[in-house]
Amino acid sequence: MELRILVYIISLLFWTSCSSEKEDYVPITENAKLEFTVPANFPEPSYNVTLNPPTEKGFELGKKLFYDGRLASDGVISCGFCHIQDFAFTHHTHIVSHGVNGALGTRNAQPLHNMAFMKEFTWDGAAIHLDLQPIIPITAEVEMNETFTGIIKKLEEQPEYVKLFAEAFEDQKINSDNMLKAISQFMIMMISANTKYDKVERNEGSVFTEQESAGLELFKSKCASCHQGTLFTDQSYRNNGLPIDPEYNDVGRKRVTGLEEDIYKFKVPSLRNIELTFPYMHDGRLKTLEDVLNHYSDGMVDSRTLDPIFKSQNNIKGIPMTTEEKQLIIAFLKTLTDDDFLNDDRFSEF
Amino acid sequence: MKNIIIIVFTILAITSCKDDDDVKVGSVNLNFNNSIENTSIIMNNTSYTNKSGETYTISQLKYIISNIVFIKANGEEFKYPTEKSYFLINEEVAESKTIELNTISEGEYTKIRFGIGVDQSKYPLHRTNNFIPTAQENEMLWSWSAGYIFLKFEGGYSVGGQENTDFKIHIGSHGTTLDNYKEVILDLPNTLNIKENATSRVVINADIAKIFDSVNTHSLSIKSDIQVDPENAPKIAENSATMFSAASINE
Ligand code: HEC
Ligand code: HEC
Repeated sequence: MELRILVYIISLLFWTSCSSEKEDYVPITENAKLEFTVPANFPEPSYNVTLNPPTEKGFELGKKLFYDGRLASDGVISCGFCHIQDFAFTHHTHIVSHGVNGALGTRNAQPLHNMAFMKEFTWDGAAIHLDLQPIIPITAEVEMNETFTGIIKKLEEQPEYVKLFAEAFEDQKINSDNMLKAISQFMIMMISANTKYDKVERNEGSVFTEQESAGLELFKSKCASCHQGTLFTDQSYRNNGLPIDPEYNDVGRKRVTGLEEDIYKFKVPSLRNIELTFPYMHDGRLKTLEDVLNHYSDGMVDSRTLDPIFKSQNNIKGIPMTTEEKQLIIAFLKTLTDDDFLNDDRFSEF
Repeated sequence: MKNIIIIVFTILAITSCKDDDDVKVGSVNLNFNNSIENTSIIMNNTSYTNKSGETYTISQLKYIISNIVFIKANGEEFKYPTEKSYFLINEEVAESKTIELNTISEGEYTKIRFGIGVDQSKYPLHRTNNFIPTAQENEMLWSWSAGYIFLKFEGGYSVGGQENTDFKIHIGSHGTTLDNYKEVILDLPNTLNIKENATSRVVINADIAKIFDSVNTHSLSIKSDIQVDPENAPKIAENSATMFSAASINE
């Protein structure tokens, strides 16, 4: 009897004596690991999943944070406000993003899918790791305009968060490292790989129509040097000949590297779910895919950093295409829409 | 039986929070002394002159110290736990200039090594992200980029008695294209003897004049706003890595 009490006291001490937390003691419940599966036709992920293995609770926490206005100073603008699932997590209808108190950004919100496979983030590569990416919207005055200290304080006041952080992470703490890890766990699970294109590539019984096949061939010869591979991006920074918009004069990649040779270069975007991520380009200036193809055939402006691919010997800028060829390419691009992803309840707010 | 319980209690209370019961540990306070010509700098009101003949005043001086390691004569190293090893030195805030390090293994150390800035090559290990709140409160995050400003040095300058112009030097890494993180190794003036239950004090001088004039010479008339500057930022980073020296040890 007394021995049992002793054992009990000892274990109690081991449990409690080292914790210096403000939170009440929270029992550790089972936190199952989530399966992170690389689609058969995808490359290896860039994100080191072993350093932040997604778990049920971590994912749940990340999703809650993603949709929580507490991450913004006005309590309203969540990540999900600008990244809407129905449009592959872009800010539908907004040419440039809208943040707290209607503040306008200068860039079009990017889609969020297959983030685990990207090396750098944002249109100019200003974030070198997915865990760091949220620092930009959270601290930006025109986006969420909040401090990490402020967010942590708000979260500590919410019993649900105290519980979720404790369940999701071994050290049980509410801190910025765990917060960013949880958001990443949510985002790396957002894999879009169930398009018609994927099903054809993986021989899962789908076949392209004649138009789509013809479009793919044209795409391979005219576009795939940059929009490369299964991810439809070689992840490089290039200038695709958009005229400079004097309102923003966005210098692109140069803002990150400071290098003159990087001026007006932007990251080659993935074209997955492209049918839904309009408006297009870093500042959302083009409304439709027709507009995009017209830009590539006729709208290009020369500059020092214009990609050499677009410069032919006889001084024609761009990629010559007939109207019919453009329609075929668009037909192909529409095979990159992933309805399973867009309707996947795991990622939905409600 | 009650006695046993009490004994167990006490033993546990004493020992249970130590990672390793065998290793004895002591403490060190690192005192950063930002100085010019061996005198602690005075913000705003005192003018200094650089080797380019420009007089300047200082309105802001902040830098990040990280990855502190104590080294013994035989080369053996004691690494301060990396996740606790990020500090912001802000000339304006007296307490920030003393870094208190506990749980350093007993021993005789002859060198100290530390980083200026944040080592992004190790990212995302070591919970570096827990330094974000401190960095943000001290305005040491870039606003457009997800990274740290390693050194922030601002003030005004003038040449030949002309009107005062602002200067602004913000050094950090430029995405993955340019890593301005630097590490320095300092010889300690005498042996640092870490003993259990004792706190030693090491004074580290930072010769701020070297930010302009050291391996490289920087004239503010040529460039007074250095932020994401692939030409000048690495030179300033190189210079600032030479500004530290360990001045004294008190036990
Ligand atoms: C005010 C609108 C807005 C909010 C709020 C917002 N974002 Fe974004 N997001 C954007 C814009 C605009 C970009 C492109 C930024 C750029 O290129 O500078 C972007 C880019 C990104 C990217 C990079 C995608 C890629 O392919 O490189 C990720 C990841 C991301 N956001 C995640 C988040 C998360 C997580 C949150 C919440 C913490 C969030 N965003 C909040 C508008 C927003
Ligand atoms: C030299 C490289 C290159 C080639 C070739 C190229 N693109 Fe692009 N593409 C880019 C870059 C870079 C951007 C982003 C530009 C920006 O926003 O400033 C882009 C943007 C786009 C967008 C907008 C995506 C979005 O999310 O807003 C579409 C659609 C697109 N390209 C389709 C095509 C098609 C179709 C072709 C072939 C006809 C093609 N691209 C050829 C580099 C290229």
